[in-house]
Amino acid sequence: MIEFGHLAAFLALAASLAQGVLGLTGARALAGRAAVVAFAVMALSFATLLVAFAQSDFSLALAANNSHTLKPMIYKLAGVWGNHEGSMALWCLVTLGFGAAGALWMRTGRDVFEARALGVQGWLATGALSYLLFASSPYLRLDPAPLQGAGLNPVLQDVALASHPPMLYLGYVGFSFVFALAAAGLIDGRIDRVWAKEARRWALAAFIPLTIGIALGSYWAYYELGWGGWWFWDPVENASLMPWLIGAALLHSVVVTEKRGSFAAWTALLAVLAFLFSIMGAFLVRSGVLTSVHAFAVDPKRGMLLLGGLVVYGGLALGLFALRAPKLEGGKPWQMLSREGALATNNVVLVVAALTVLLGTLFPLIAEATGRTISVGEPYFRLTFVPMLAVLLAVLPVVQAWTWGKADLSGVWKWAAGGVGLVAVFLLLGVSVWDIPLGAAFGLALALWLIFGALWEVRRRAVTLARVFRLPLRVWGMTLAHIGLGVFIMGAVVETTQRYEATLALPAGGSGTVAGWNITLNDVHAIEGPNWYADKAVLTARKGSIKAEMAPTKRYYPASRMPTTETAIHKTGAGDLYIALGDRRDVDGETRWVFRVYFNPLIDFVYLGVGLMALGAFFSLVPMRRRRTA
Amino acid sequence: MVIRALFLSLAVFGFALTSMGQVLDDPTEEARAQALMRELRCVACENEPISQSSAAIAEDMRARVRVMVGEGASDGEVRDWFESRYGEFVLFRPKRTGLEGFILWGAPFGLLVIGGLIAFGLARRRKAGAEPVAPDEI
Repeated sequence: MIEFGHLAAFLALAASLAQGVLGLTGARALAGRAAVVAFAVMALSFATLLVAFAQSDFSLALAANNSHTLKPMIYKLAGVWGNHEGSMALWCLVTLGFGAAGALWMRTGRDVFEARALGVQGWLATGALSYLLFASSPYLRLDPAPLQGAGLNPVLQDVALASHPPMLYLGYVGFSFVFALAAAGLIDGRIDRVWAKEARRWALAAFIPLTIGIALGSYWAYYELGWGGWWFWDPVENASLMPWLIGAALLHSVVVTEKRGSFAAWTALLAVLAFLFSIMGAFLVRSGVLTSVHAFAVDPKRGMLLLGGLVVYGGLALGLFALRAPKLEGGKPWQMLSREGALATNNVVLVVAALTVLLGTLFPLIAEATGRTISVGEPYFRLTFVPMLAVLLAVLPVVQAWTWGKADLSGVWKWAAGGVGLVAVFLLLGVSVWDIPLGAAFGLALALWLIFGALWEVRRRAVTLARVFRLPLRVWGMTLAHIGLGVFIMGAVVETTQRYEATLALPAGGSGTVAGWNITLNDVHAIEGPNWYADKAVLTARKGSIKAEMAPTKRYYPASRMPTTETAIHKTGAGDLYIALGDRRDVDGETRWVFRVYFNPLIDFVYLGVGLMALGAFFSLVPMRRRRTA
Repeated sequence: MVIRALFLSLAVFGFALTSMGQVLDDPTEEARAQALMRELRCVACENEPISQSSAAIAEDMRARVRVMVGEGASDGEVRDWFESRYGEFVLFRPKRTGLEGFILWGAPFGLLVIGGLIAFGLARRRKAGAEPVAPDEI
């Protein structure tokens, strides 16, 4: 079975190579067929890995190292990508999937251009598959086969996290096709409206799963790590945030190219960078050059190969860019105070924000070379990244109605005054009534300002209520995404500034009070699952008339000798009461259990906001598909 | 001095009691202590602040932050104490001193200025004949 899968992966490599050669020579139909064949055989190959894991075939080294007979089926399957080799197989599968999707659904009417895009994608796939087959093969056998597997890393045995890598990879690797389109457009010397229309669809197709993937990872960290937070500015998280920011910049820039023909070179550059940042993310996570709480499958040699790939693909693409960019056509004229100018500002800030994350993430390495050991954490990003995005978003409602080319500035002062007034009221209320930090008051004002601005724009465009529902879906997409940003900011500001945390050490029958909640420990008892055993604490939390039974658990997975925290979360309209079970302490002959108790206000807004952004991006994608297939 | 008494009792019982994370009586001081704990790095962990580490050393460091805040030390004094004891590595809020500090904190601002100048430069070159056109979709 696995040998068949191994062979299929080699066939996929051959087909990708054919796709690369045929594509670059301009044979659209043949390259497209090669792309579909490559994806089909790689899907078969991936299926053999899934079957081996499902059957717990421990003669497959990968299954022996990462699976276990007692695991629930879903985690047996998720175990395929819960490790380095298997996740590279998934990376290859998604690369080929986007190639096949491109072969089937590209609609520019430019055969040579499309062939070249498929060709570049073929070479990207060739690189990924070579790396898979020659440097991190998941198909190797073990002889003799062990009777039992070593088990999947227990913290990964979780539904959100099982679906997190596939989503993230759809995003990362989705940008490979945007990269291919940019390279083909640059070879052509045509980064124009037709190109932009096509590139925008694929950028959205990558951006949506990337957004969802990041949110899933964050939600997992929130309830699984047991520390109450949802974003830790960890290098691994930063590695996914950078391509997201570049992708967001690209989605705004590509509209200018589509509607006005301007920003052509810049849009092409962002299209290239989005994928380069994705590979760099993989390099940072896999090479172990950075310490992270959840870097996995660390191996310097593989890191060097990934870095090599980054340098080769990046060098070629940027070289091509340097050759062709000066010759691209310029589009319609514009001045700074215009829709173009506003979107240029958006791009400057988003790209600098991405570079700031990059600098903060890599700086400990750079400083080490000069002999200083520096740590860069949340305070750095709070003081650099957050203010620059806050300023950008504060301007958004003012400029969103601006026309292309040259803005009509007659209403600007009203908007600016309204914004400043809103902020002033919130700052005053924040200090005198709510007793919250100034930054939090400003953040709340910003969130409401954004939501109000987005709704006002709908009203302005629709003029009458009846026409609201006849607005193009793209307008709704933009509106939802911007409202989502506002909702996200509201949740993020309230959660990070108003979160309450405390530690309780309770004996059985004891109780304590946290944030107005009376928490009583009824009992702690041992329980057993399919591949773990655990201490389960049963608590009663009371506040006013609300009464909640909560059962935080601490699991031990004997197969990997690791404990995991299963937090107990009680949702209320105002936020989550969140309890994690810590260690057992014996003090003066009395047994006490340590609990970390948090109240995380409005945490759901964080995920609701991100969900709205993804939904908005989806709305922006749908109408174009419908019109094209009709 | 409740805090001092608390610290003495902590010292007597060792970390079994410090781990219980006795909070400071004054909520403002406790909030300040927690904020500091979020920006001090646990010296025994991968990449975690002491606010979220179960390591014994992190427990001791948390207790130390509370004691210092309870005694009225400013945020800067707490940071300085930890830096002198464990090195600059312990600060998640990097210092602004030296060439490295200047680059790290200055670069985001510098890049914004450069990016803004480029955008203005482009707009100046391309502004001849700009006409307002209402967006059809977005």
